[in-house]
Parts: sequence; structure tokens; C-alpha cells
Amino acid sequence: MTAQKKLDHVLLLAVVGLAAWAVPGAGHLLIKERLRAAIIFVTITATFVTGLYVGSIGVIDPVGAKPWYMAQMLTSPAVGLLGHVTETAVTADGQQRYVSYGRCSDVGQIYTSVAGLLNLLCILSAVYMAYCGRGEMIGEEEHDG
Amino acid sequence: MTADWGILARAFVDPIHIPTDPTSVVWMFPLLLAIAIVYKATKMRVLFPLKFIKEVAVLFGTVSAFMVFLGAALIFLVKLITE
Repeated sequence: MTAQKKLDHVLLLAVVGLAAWAVPGAGHLLIKERLRAAIIFVTITATFVTGLYVGSIGVIDPVGAKPWYMAQMLTSPAVGLLGHVTETAVTADGQQRYVSYGRCSDVGQIYTSVAGLLNLLCILSAVYMAYCGRGEMIGEEEHDG
Repeated sequence: MTADWGILARAFVDPIHIPTDPTSVVWMFPLLLAIAIVYKATKMRVLFPLKFIKEVAVLFGTVSAFMVFLGAALIFLVKLITE
């Protein structure tokens, strides 16, 4: 492999990894694994949205629940925007506007964090598939089949 | 139309009520299904729809059965210790 090809390959891996982080399933889409990408996108998005619905956006708490927030951030960088909203939105008396307590908070936090961890698995899977050259081999087979 | 978006946005601002009782563990099952789907989507070399659904169902059933068994075993253990 020439130096230029090696650099292109590393760039491809970086782009696939970043795309997979930005939008769940986008990494697989880039390497032509369309069905896999659709399944991953729908499942991870549904899990994350269910978590938000159950516990409200208050479950994204960059200050009081940092470890959970780190896992949630793996779903997409867009979670950072939600974190910024929950962090900065305060009521007139200085209290946080979006808060969540109790069982619904637990369930919401677990759902959103597991969605992030599942996306980490998908990021690694997409990068590994790109590393093995899957976009050139199996992607075509899948499309043809 | 704006009111629709307002209702939709409101759904993500107010948490829903989940009682603190044993029925709340039912929330585990959709999560197990999501884990089974994503795991199999990344693990299977080539995705054949029917085979994929079958493998997801088997994994979901296995993990669910194990979780139920583990829950029952822990309840039994707690009863054994406390009673």
C-alpha cells in the first residue's frame, strides 16, 4: 500500500467513525451497508427518544450526572445541545427548569445512556468494517441481493 | 400546526409517571430488544431479513429469560436471608 493510499484509508476510517457518531447508522451507510444502517438508526434513535419521553430532557444533566452524560453524548454530538439547554434553562427564582426525579428519571437515564453505548458499538463496528474493506465487498452484495 | 409542535415538545419536557413497584421492571424488556437488535445488526456478517429476525428473537428470549430467572433467584435469596 502506498503512503497516499494509506493516508486515504486512515481518512476514510476517521470519516466513517465521525459520521457514525454524528448520526447513528451513518457510518454503515457510508460503507454501503444500507440495511444495517437503517436498523441501527431506527433502533438507537427510538431508544434515545423513548428515554427522553420517559424522563424528559431533564435526564440529560451535564452537571449533576456527568458519567451518564458522557454515555449519552456517545449517541450524537447533538446531545450536547440538549445538555446546554438543560444546563442554562433556569426559572425566575434561579432553579433549574428541566429536572427529573424518581423512577422515571432512572429509566430515562438508563435508556438514553444505553442508546449512547449501543452507538459506540456501532461506531466501532463501522470503523472495523471500513478497515476490512467491507464497503467495497459486502456492501455491493447486499445491494444486489 | 404550531399547537401540534407544542404538544410534541411538551411530551419531552414533563416526565411520565412510573410507579415505584415491581411492574416498573417491565421497562427492561424494550431495552433488551433494542440491545438484541443492535448487537445482531453489528455481529451478523451478512444480513438476511428472516435469519436476522430469528436471531434477534432467540437472543431477546434468552436474555429476557435469564433476567427473569436472576430476578426470581434474588427475590428468593432476599426472602431466605430476611425471613
